Amino acid sequence: MTGIVLALLGAALAVGLAGIGSAMGVGLVGQSAAGVVTEDPDKFGQTLLLQALPGTQGIYGLLTGFIIMQRVGVIGADLLNLTMQQGFSVFMASLPVAIVGFISAIYQGKAAAAGVGLIAKRPEELGKAIIYAVMVETYAVLALLASIMLLFGIAL
Amino acid sequence: MPIVDMQKVFLFSHQQEKDTVINILRDLGAVELVDLKEGSAWEEIKSLLVPEQSADAVTRLESQLGEVRYCLDFLQRHFPVQKSFAQQFTGAKINLTSAEYADYISRGEEIKAIYKACRAADEKLTNLRNEETRYHNLLQGLAPWAGFSLPLGQIENTGRLRMHLFTVPTDDLLSLQKSLTETAPDHYLEVVSTDKELAYFFLIFLADEAKQVQEMLKEAGAAEVSFPGISDTASQAISTLNKKLVNIQHERTELVKKVEELLVHRPHLMAYFDYLEGERAKKEVVGNFARTETSFLLEGWIPAPLVSNLEKALAEKSETAILVVRDPEPEEKVPVLLQNSGTADAFEVVTRLYSTPSQREIDPTPLMAPFFFVFFGICLSDAGYGVVLSLLALFLSRKIKLGGMGKQLIKLLFLGGISSFVFGVLMGSWFGDLLKLRALWFNPLDDPMRMLIVCFILGFIQIFFGMGVRAYQNIKAGRTLDALFDQGFWYIFLIGLVSLASPQFGAAGKWLAIGGALGLVLTQGRSQKGVFKKFFGGLLSLYNVTGYLSDVLSYSRLLALGLATGVIAAAINTMGGLLARGIVGVIVMVIVLIGGHFFNLIISALGSYVHTSRLQYIEFFGKFFEGGGRAFRPFCKTTKFVEIEEREA
Repeated sequence: MTGIVLALLGAALAVGLAGIGSAMGVGLVGQSAAGVVTEDPDKFGQTLLLQALPGTQGIYGLLTGFIIMQRVGVIGADLLNLTMQQGFSVFMASLPVAIVGFISAIYQGKAAAAGVGLIAKRPEELGKAIIYAVMVETYAVLALLASIMLLFGIAL
Repeated sequence: MPIVDMQKVFLFSHQQEKDTVINILRDLGAVELVDLKEGSAWEEIKSLLVPEQSADAVTRLESQLGEVRYCLDFLQRHFPVQKSFAQQFTGAKINLTSAEYADYISRGEEIKAIYKACRAADEKLTNLRNEETRYHNLLQGLAPWAGFSLPLGQIENTGRLRMHLFTVPTDDLLSLQKSLTETAPDHYLEVVSTDKELAYFFLIFLADEAKQVQEMLKEAGAAEVSFPGISDTASQAISTLNKKLVNIQHERTELVKKVEELLVHRPHLMAYFDYLEGERAKKEVVGNFARTETSFLLEGWIPAPLVSNLEKALAEKSETAILVVRDPEPEEKVPVLLQNSGTADAFEVVTRLYSTPSQREIDPTPLMAPFFFVFFGICLSDAGYGVVLSLLALFLSRKIKLGGMGKQLIKLLFLGGISSFVFGVLMGSWFGDLLKLRALWFNPLDDPMRMLIVCFILGFIQIFFGMGVRAYQNIKAGRTLDALFDQGFWYIFLIGLVSLASPQFGAAGKWLAIGGALGLVLTQGRSQKGVFKKFFGGLLSLYNVTGYLSDVLSYSRLLALGLATGVIAAAINTMGGLLARGIVGVIVMVIVLIGGHFFNLIISALGSYVHTSRLQYIEFFGKFFEGGGRAFRPFCKTTKFVEIEEREA
């Protein structure tokens, strides 16, 4: 086994874990949104906005995975021959977004689902519902930043 | 002056002019009415008043409204008005000229007939549906007996014979047959059909043996089936029922066609609904008035610049109205109306989504607007996306009519597009790396650390600015020392800390930081009692430095979101590039590029908007803004269904 396998494992985890988290989060919001829309179909647009929020972690994961693929040459240039240490470094760099993305998406989903309940009664407070969900996303953004900085910092 | 000055008005007039005055107020749409019963003067004037007798009129309006709403709901159920995605946020209204509107209102008598027609059609449709359900159930019951040749009407007990139709669980059929043969050999059993669960059979047995046979049937779990009212064979009955169902279908189609003819009345219904709602609102407003036999008094708030308009309108149309205007008293809770001119107006929506400022605060909108503009641009940071976003906003503002917050939001997106274009050009990002133009400044993808520093500096500036506003508020309120202690020392301390990091100012920074810290330790515990508590309170306040640190770090999201937009765009371009083989490939590539970039634009613009808002709310507003004001809600014409164009009046 050479370093490249570890690097790709990192990419897979970033995309996979963050994606799972987002899927769960988006699903959670969808469930409560469907309940609200049963009563008032006109709230579809607003609830869809809230449902989209926990989806960003999956995108951050994909983004990280994409940077890894590009850096190790899976897309574009030739495949690099990484040492174990390089591969392990790339793997480590993927962890912040993978772990934080996974968990924060679920919790953001819960906050957004509660937000759906909020706009069911007070549609004019959509902004506040969004902000509550975004407070959670902050940590996914920070994790993404850490992952990106690490990836750009590793010499390959 | 972003927060408009409010004045209290009292209007006193003759009872006969009540409707005139209400109409003036409504058309002007500038007065928020206050319930006089809540006021302090109520106790004094209470004894002079007589109650209003408008309850009857309100009830009549309510019942009329109910009828119109029923018609609209009925039509909506059968011919729903489809709303586009944007209209779900804005509501779909139909446009009418004021002449059309007036015409609809004058023909209010016709509403009754429309209501009757709707009601009749609805009842018929309900009956048809019930009948249909009944036939369907019957058909289901008859289906297993389709192969049975005896007319169902002829299944009748005679003096010596008993005959019935039965079902029995399929598994128990054989044992039932066996035991029947043993105990009552003189029987006739015909199995008509079987399915997975049940066997359907016809049984004739002797009346003498009825008791034993029934016992056996019960044991096997058999149940009797009958079809009262059907004399034909099962298969004949099935075909009759099917014919009836087809007829019902026809009838329904006819009815729905009739309902469709009623659709022409929908605009009429909508206009009348809005008219009735308006009338009801007027009646409700009257509840806030104080009245005697011949006069009435109302109280309200009006923006100071509009007082002259009200005076003019009253002078023109009313003979008895007396208007008294005064400044708000200190203990009164004044409603707040924001009014920013020009570009800053678009950013009001950001403030309002957080909280309306209270009347004694400054409106943070113009202070926050430049930051919002810049941060949004850095988050999206793509010249191509910026152009598309601005064009999209322009298109939307032309296409759908919006008022208030919706209009501001569209304008905000338009400005965000411009900002994004500027930063895209600076950072050399055109649809990611689709157009490889040189960055005028630098590309954060090449040097993320440099961009991170830029973000921190921007954050530092905004936080310092926020503290500055707080200091200004303190000084203005005469608390100069508070401004020095709470903001001044923090300025010195933080600037000192930051300078520590740089080689040139390191030494100066050290002394600044120590000086600032000393100042904080000495002053921050000043509200405590006792020397020790004061000292420890001051010492503990230094811990707040972590708050400032995390506030600044929070601005790193600007970099992260900017990178996310750029890298996803690049990923889309790479995917597209991989596909470009042959003509089909090129077509697929174009589809992937357009779809992908559009998706990225929507997601990134949403992210930019929410994260930029968050920076304003938590990091910036947290420094000085309290909010909690009550928004100004004037009494005015509101419509749910129709938009009346005044120009053709």
